[in-house]
Amino acid sequence: MPFIPDILNHRSLAIVGLEKNTGKTVCLNYILHRLNQMNIPVGVTSIGVDGEQVDAVFATAKPEITLYPGTLFITSEQHYLKRQLLSVIKHVDSQRTSLGPLVTAQVLIPGKALLSGAATTAVLRRQIQQLDSMGTRLTIVDGALSRLSLASPTVTEAMILATGAAVSANVKQLVARTKFLYRLICLDEVDPELRNRLSIIESGLWAVDSDGQPHDLGIASVFLIDRAETDLLRYGRTLFASGAVSDRLLRVLAAKGKDITLITRDFTKLFITPEAYTELTRRGGHIMVLQRSRLLAVTLNPTSPQGYLLDSKSTCDALSDALQMPVYDVKKIEQ
Amino acid sequence: MKIKDLIKQDAGFQYIIDSMEFMSPAGRRKTLNTEFCTDADTLTAEWQRLDEAISATLAFKFKKPYIDLRHCLMQLHDLQGTLASLANHTPLNEVELFEIKNLAQLTRTATGAIAGLGMSEALPLPDTTEIFALLDPDHTGIANFYIYDSYDPRLTPLRRELQALQASEGDPLRISDLLAQQNEIQCEVCLRLSDQLTHWTSTLVTAMEQLAYIDSLLAKADLAIRWELTKPTLGDHIEYTGLVNPRLKQRNEAAHLRYQPVDIALYNGVCLITGANMAGKTILLKSVGTAQLMAQCGMYVPAGKAVVKLVDGVATSIGDDQDEMNGLSSYASEIIKISNILSSCRTATLLVLIDEPARTTNPIEGKALVQALIKILNTMDSFTLITTHYGQLGAHCRRLRVKGFVEDLSDMPLTPQSINRFIDYSLTEDPTDSVPHEALRIAAILGCDNELIHLAQESINQ
Repeated sequence: MPFIPDILNHRSLAIVGLEKNTGKTVCLNYILHRLNQMNIPVGVTSIGVDGEQVDAVFATAKPEITLYPGTLFITSEQHYLKRQLLSVIKHVDSQRTSLGPLVTAQVLIPGKALLSGAATTAVLRRQIQQLDSMGTRLTIVDGALSRLSLASPTVTEAMILATGAAVSANVKQLVARTKFLYRLICLDEVDPELRNRLSIIESGLWAVDSDGQPHDLGIASVFLIDRAETDLLRYGRTLFASGAVSDRLLRVLAAKGKDITLITRDFTKLFITPEAYTELTRRGGHIMVLQRSRLLAVTLNPTSPQGYLLDSKSTCDALSDALQMPVYDVKKIEQ
Repeated sequence: MKIKDLIKQDAGFQYIIDSMEFMSPAGRRKTLNTEFCTDADTLTAEWQRLDEAISATLAFKFKKPYIDLRHCLMQLHDLQGTLASLANHTPLNEVELFEIKNLAQLTRTATGAIAGLGMSEALPLPDTTEIFALLDPDHTGIANFYIYDSYDPRLTPLRRELQALQASEGDPLRISDLLAQQNEIQCEVCLRLSDQLTHWTSTLVTAMEQLAYIDSLLAKADLAIRWELTKPTLGDHIEYTGLVNPRLKQRNEAAHLRYQPVDIALYNGVCLITGANMAGKTILLKSVGTAQLMAQCGMYVPAGKAVVKLVDGVATSIGDDQDEMNGLSSYASEIIKISNILSSCRTATLLVLIDEPARTTNPIEGKALVQALIKILNTMDSFTLITTHYGQLGAHCRRLRVKGFVEDLSDMPLTPQSINRFIDYSLTEDPTDSVPHEALRIAAILGCDNELIHLAQESINQ
C-alpha cells in the first residue's frame, strides 16, 4: 500500500492535478478505499465543483467518488440531493454557493456522490477545522480543475500531485512540466525567524535588509512593477512578494541585477513559466518560500482524454528518475 | 422609512449600524428592516426591552444562558425562502427539512436560555416541540436529519438489501434499482412531511423572526454598553447633555486627540448656530440628526442625558453629498433640497438640519434667502437647526454660538493637527446678531499663503 502510511501522519491532505483528467479522482478513491479497510475516520471535501459524472470540458466519463460508512463529507445542496448513498445531515452552512448551501453529512450506507465545495480557501480552511472537530483523523480535499491554491501549506498539511497524459502525450514534455512544478513545490524555506517576520505582512512588495528587517517598497501590487521608479534593491538583494508572483516580476528582477533572492509565501503564489524562472536563475537569482508544502506522492494517469495511452511503467520510471521520488499509476496498484 | 433607507441618507447612522455585531444574517436583516417609529408607546416598549437586554447582558455576559443564546443565534439561518415554499405548499427536500428541524431545535434551546436571562416575558418564543418531534421520529433529540426508516415500512428491508449488496460489491443493476426505489419513497416522505409542516408555517415564521429580533436586540444592547449610550426620555423638545458623534470620537481617540461632547437644547422653531470655521458646527448638525434617527429606530443615543421629541422625519441639507454629480451645481442642488424640505414641513413635524444655506451664491442674495428661510421655518411646527456665517440677519430666532478659540493664540505654536486642543466646542446663547470674524486667523494657522492673508486683511482695513 504505497504512501498510505505517510498520509496518516497528517491531518489534512490536498489532491491536486497538474491538469484536468490527470487522475485525481482515481487517486482519491484509492485512498478512501484503503483508509476504509483500515477503519480510519475520514472527512472529504473539495474546492470548486468536482466529481461531475461526465467531464464538463471533454465529455468523457469520470469516475465518481465512493464514500464508505462513517465518512463525513461536505458537498453542495444540489449535489447532496443527487447522491447515491444513504447519509445523515449533520450541518448546513449559512454560506451559499451557486449550487446551494454546503451540507455536511455522514455516510450510513456506502455509495457514490458528487463533491462540490467552497469557492475560497478561507471557507475551505473553516471546513477542514469543522470536519476535524467532528472527529475525523484526516480530511482530504479534492481539487477542481487545475487549481493549486488548496495545496497551500496554510490550508492543507500535505499534498499529492496527480500528473498524466492529459498534460502532454509526449513523455519528455510531461516530465519537464511535472518537474518544473515539482521544483516549485520543493523550493527552500527561509529560516523560522524571518518567516515569522514576513508572514504577518499582508500586501505589497518588500525588501529584506541584511539584518532580516522588512522594508515596504511602496508598490501595492507586483503587477504595477513596470511603473515603479524606485530602486528596488536599495535595501539589498532580498525581496519578499506577499501576493501572487508573475513572470513580469521575475523578468524585472532578472533585469535589475544578479543574485537576487525572491521570497514568496508558498508555491501556490507562483504563476510563472519555466522560461521566466530560468531567466532569473541564470542570473544567479533564486526563489524561496515562507512555508514549503509536504509532497507525499506523485501519481500518473497514462491515459489522456483524447485517447492517447502512454506506457505506464516506462513513464513512471522516467518521472521517478527526474523527480527522485516514487511515482505511482494508481490503477496499476489497485489491480 | 426603514433603517436600510435611512443609512443611505446619513453616513453617521450607517457607521452606527456597521458597528453593530450581529450573530446571524437574519439579525442584520431584521435590524435593517426596522421602521423609523413615531409612536411613543411602541418606542417606550422597545427601549424598555433594550433596557432589560442591557441588564441581562451585563449580568450574564460570560455566563451560561447568555453564551447559549448567542451560540443559538450564531446557528440561525435565514429561512425566508424555505418558509415561503412551505406556505405555498411547495414540497421541501431533505436539506430544507434539516433546516426546519434545526430551527425548531434552536427555538427550544433559545427558550431555555431566555428563561435563564429572566426575559421570557419580554421575548416570548413559540413552542416548537411538536415540529421537532415530527422530524425526529426515532426520538434522538439531536438536530441531525435523514429520511429515517421509521417514516415508511418499506425502507428497512430495502436498505438492508442495499447495504448487503454494497458490502459485497453485488449486482450494480440491482443496486441502482434499489437506489431508485429508495429515492421514490424518500420523495413521498418529504411530500408528506412538508404537507404536515404547512400547518406550522406561522409558528416557524414567528420563531425565526423572533430569534432574528433577539439577535438585533442583543446587538443594540452590546453597542449601548460598548459606547455608553443613553436611554432617551420623551419630551416636548430635544435636549442632549454631552452629545457625542461616535465616529469622530473614535477617530480622535485613535489619534490621541481630545474629544469634547456638546450640550444642546432645541425647541419648536428655528435655532441659528454661528461660530468660527473649524468650530464643529457641521459635525454638531450631523450628530443631532444621527441621534434622532437612533432614538426613533429604538436605539439608545450617544449622549450623557437625552430628551427626545418624536418627529415625523429628519430632513437635512448638509452639503457633502454627491448631487453635484447629477449635473447640478452645488447651489442648484441645495436650493432643490431646501425647497423639498419646506414642502415636507407643511404637512409633517420634522427635525430640519440645514448647514450654511446659500453659502455658494453672492452674499447679498444669499443673506436674503437665509432671512426668508428662517421666517418661513419659524411659522412651521418643526425643529430647525441652521448654521451660518452670515451676520446681521435681523431675524427673530434663537441664536447659539460655538465658543470657539479659548484664548489669544498669537504666540502659540499651532498646527492644523493640534488646533482642536484650543477650541471650545460648547455652545452659548448669543443675543447679538453678529458672527465671529476669524477666517483669516484660521487660514494663517493652517499655513495659508502669506500674501493672500495680507492682501485680504488690507482690504478689510480699508
